[in-house]
Amino acid sequence: MDITITEWFTQYPALREGLTAFAVIFVDLCALAILLAAKRERNHSDRHWAKETHGLMLQSGEEYYPLGSAEILIGRHPAADIRLDDPEISRFHALLTFSNGQWHIEDVSSGNGIKVNGACLTKSRVLRNQDVIAIGKRRMRVVRGDGKDVRS
Amino acid sequence: MKESGKALAHPLLMVLVLAAHAAMLLVILPMGNFAEWVKLACAVLTMDFIGSIVLQLVQRQACTVDTVLLLVLGMSTIYQSCFGGLEFAWKHYLFGLIAFLACQVSYLVVRNPYRAERLKPLWYTLFGILLLSILLLTGSRGIWIDLGFITIQPSEFVKPIFVLICASSMQTQLKKSSVLGIHFVPDNLGLILCTVLIAAVQWWCRDLGSLPTFAAVALVGLYLRFFYLREKFSMRLVVFLGICGIAACIAAWKLAPAYVQERLHSDIWSDMTGSGYQQVKGLVAIAEGGWFGKGAGAGSLHSVAASNTDLIFASICEEWGLFSAVMAVILVLFMPAAGLTVPPRSYYHAGLTVGVAAVFIVQMTLNIFGSCNLIPFTGVTVPFLSQGGSSMLSCGILAGFLKAAQAPQFTIPVKKGGKPNGGAA
Amino acid sequence: MAEQRKRPAQAKSSAKASTPPKTSRKPKAESAPPLWITAPRSMQRAYHVISLLIALFAIALVYLAYTLITESRYYVAKAGKTTYGYVYDRKGDVLFDGTQPLDSYPAGQFADIGSLIGDTSGQMTNTLVSTHLDDLANYSFLYGNNGNPAEIRTTLSHAANRKVFDALGQKRGSVIAYNWKTGELLVCVSKPCVDIAEGYANLAQMPSGSLLCKPFYPIVPGSTQKVSTVLAAYEAIGVGTVNATEYACSGSWLNAKGQKINCHEKSGHGRQTLAEAFENSCNPYFAQLVQSDALPLSRIVETFTRMGYSVNGEAAAAYDLDGIRIAPASLTLKDADDFDTQWSCLGQGDTLISPYQLMLWQGAIANGSGKAVLPYLVSETVDSQGNVTEANGVQYTQQMFTAEAAQAVQKVMYDNAEAHYYVSLSDFTCGVKSGTAQVTDNGKAYENSLLVGFCLDAQTPIAFCIVIEERVSGELSTAQLAKVLLNTLAEM
Repeated sequence: MDITITEWFTQYPALREGLTAFAVIFVDLCALAILLAAKRERNHSDRHWAKETHGLMLQSGEEYYPLGSAEILIGRHPAADIRLDDPEISRFHALLTFSNGQWHIEDVSSGNGIKVNGACLTKSRVLRNQDVIAIGKRRMRVVRGDGKDVRS
Repeated sequence: MKESGKALAHPLLMVLVLAAHAAMLLVILPMGNFAEWVKLACAVLTMDFIGSIVLQLVQRQACTVDTVLLLVLGMSTIYQSCFGGLEFAWKHYLFGLIAFLACQVSYLVVRNPYRAERLKPLWYTLFGILLLSILLLTGSRGIWIDLGFITIQPSEFVKPIFVLICASSMQTQLKKSSVLGIHFVPDNLGLILCTVLIAAVQWWCRDLGSLPTFAAVALVGLYLRFFYLREKFSMRLVVFLGICGIAACIAAWKLAPAYVQERLHSDIWSDMTGSGYQQVKGLVAIAEGGWFGKGAGAGSLHSVAASNTDLIFASICEEWGLFSAVMAVILVLFMPAAGLTVPPRSYYHAGLTVGVAAVFIVQMTLNIFGSCNLIPFTGVTVPFLSQGGSSMLSCGILAGFLKAAQAPQFTIPVKKGGKPNGGAA
Repeated sequence: MAEQRKRPAQAKSSAKASTPPKTSRKPKAESAPPLWITAPRSMQRAYHVISLLIALFAIALVYLAYTLITESRYYVAKAGKTTYGYVYDRKGDVLFDGTQPLDSYPAGQFADIGSLIGDTSGQMTNTLVSTHLDDLANYSFLYGNNGNPAEIRTTLSHAANRKVFDALGQKRGSVIAYNWKTGELLVCVSKPCVDIAEGYANLAQMPSGSLLCKPFYPIVPGSTQKVSTVLAAYEAIGVGTVNATEYACSGSWLNAKGQKINCHEKSGHGRQTLAEAFENSCNPYFAQLVQSDALPLSRIVETFTRMGYSVNGEAAAAYDLDGIRIAPASLTLKDADDFDTQWSCLGQGDTLISPYQLMLWQGAIANGSGKAVLPYLVSETVDSQGNVTEANGVQYTQQMFTAEAAQAVQKVMYDNAEAHYYVSLSDFTCGVKSGTAQVTDNGKAYENSLLVGFCLDAQTPIAFCIVIEERVSGELSTAQLAKVLLNTLAEM
């Protein structure tokens, strides 16, 4: 090529702008696709989480408490993820953790106690579907979050 | 419910990334120097292929961060190769590739928040080693370690380690120790100590440019920790912290060393050939570039020192136009923004996401607004766009953290006897 | 990233971040398995921090883009990376052309306004072009340097400038005149003057002062300063009292400290009223007026400060004529009994006033209000995309002296013109005051001839100041030049 791009572009400024715009449009398209993919990924992440945790959640009377992350704090404190307003419950009472495909409950209170299926919890144990957790006067049942289980 | 591996339009995304790169390569084809163009084109397209294969091997749950990373790395390689004439920026390309692999490695290391948390003593140790290396190996108050064939900037690697230290899980926060009747969380004490240490070291070696980055990470880290277990959103605490922050800024402003003071108060337009030289050249380059730039390779900023690191925004503006430059910056911003679409599932990963967002955004702020004379000009880099080995690698590691929060794994290593340890006994 | 809000319908009831705790009503029986994905509150804090960081950065980025786009013209102009457009006079005559080399214009085309309009060479810094580089740049962010030439349209009359410049002949001097009703600056001549079309190759051979637009730089005012002194006296004592005050002149006068003030009339003027002394330009009269107890020095200082003098080194605001800076007048007034102070009030000593400011006061006297319409030079600017910015309307200075004093001085000056200038200025309703400034420059002593004044005719509402340097008797007089000036402007 005996003509440099600079000369080209000074001769045809519209060409230069058009070329750059062409590249920018492709990059923008790509960015748009990534945004759409991110949205899909979000739904996928939700489904994946529900599947991974077997859709377990806590039920107390009419109320359902979702378990949206791997660490769920139960207590009287307003900052607790599941807040139970009962003077017998510690500010931070129990911690639910998810690992190895199972939910675990752990007593982090200063000794007011947790009963799982009627037995006192000493340190921590695995939670299974239909387990009943008693914290203070509250009773919470572990239920499976798919439609059938909730109805029953 | 679909199978987890199949749910994504992953191959289609890769095709689009490839197309974007191909379009950019086509645009620069008329620049001449065909041999270099072939090298560049092969390199960029190979990176895309390698990338998509590696992604298929590592994980297939979340690909936003990786796709953005591949797109940005390819784009920045093309940008870097074009400045002042087409010449394949193999160094930038190589470090980009390394950064991409580092991203995968760091993802594998921290994707399990329990394990990453249990490795905290290791992070503290690495932090200490890096600080010592800054103090002992960089020579007289410098920030570079010269190994002869390559120079390393250890303070760049402190960033990912510091982010790892900043993140914390709920279990750790509930573990309180008590000494002489004072209750405290050991991990919080560790973070505060590390913050003070790194600030002191940065001050000592006059690397004040990255001080705001560490300050921002520490700030968001402490915010998340202290507000986990706070009563409500405490306005008084926020006001108190705000006043402390402003006081610290004023103190830093007043106590800053002479060369920083000079930068704070200098008017670049009255010293166009002296201290304001780089910024003036950069601003004029942006103005001359306009919306769509002068055309790849047609710029003149490449003759200015640090044009492909500190002045990267102006360099892209000059050749590709303000529109492309802003687009590139927004694409980098996509990475921390991924944490908004797919929420992290554990406190440790939430902390990592916020920390990485703070690093990326503060670095971009310092670089872009500094080079455009809105704030003092400091020598920090824009993640993935600026040339630079250490910073590229550390940013790759940080991107891995983001990815970990998107596709986490919750397993606890099983001890002998088949019982999981840690939270469950 | 608005995806956070778009959740599956089942989870929507629990998605509201503000309703603690994260509970949900019983899901519908027929629906698909519910997705219990709501992030706990502590997790949402991370979400908020990231949103805040990104939002702040995005706002800053928008601000940055806005700043870059609006200030880009300044950047390229400051760095000299653009071509420049035209400066026109009020009739469209080219005063500066940045689109091509200026030597393509006939020689002397810009010789009369070169030091006022200036050029882009950077040789002169206080000129119209050098202070409006960014207005004159043919650059826009959208079109780069490919737009139409920018334009600055000025209020000057190139033809009148040329006539006055030519009338000065071989003499050095300066003439500045403006319309005291509208503020349009019409004539601003400075001679000698660089011809920007010829460039600066022979800079060393150019006469000194060629690169300065003299009307903007303070000079010794001579007796034209007496106008200010009369204004101060009128304000302090009252018009009637001052007009009735008589002092004797015997050719010279000894002040309270025994220092001698000479009159240019060696035989003296005898007893005179103010009007007579003003017409005679009698130094002893005004020295006695300054020394008299009826006129405290503090009142003079007060009036002069209001008029914009820097008295005794006190800071005074500089004037700004569309970016061109004009240093304020200055003088020293320490002791009313002392020769130096009296001499300052007579326009000698260390008194320095720019012709621009002398003209401005004439404007305030001519309109009889004590505040002048501020002169302006740029009537409109057109940028390279054709956007027109027009000059602001009439703007007044602050009240420099009382309207009463202004009207009284107007009458005194009018009478002076009637008495002495009925030949040269008979066609116009004028008021004038002449002055002779004794100047020593590089050991060479000479006299500059000054004339300040105004014209009240409806056709020519002009205030002006004329300076002819090193004038010797018999040559072109300031009054003749004033006639040329007014005649030219009347024909416009």
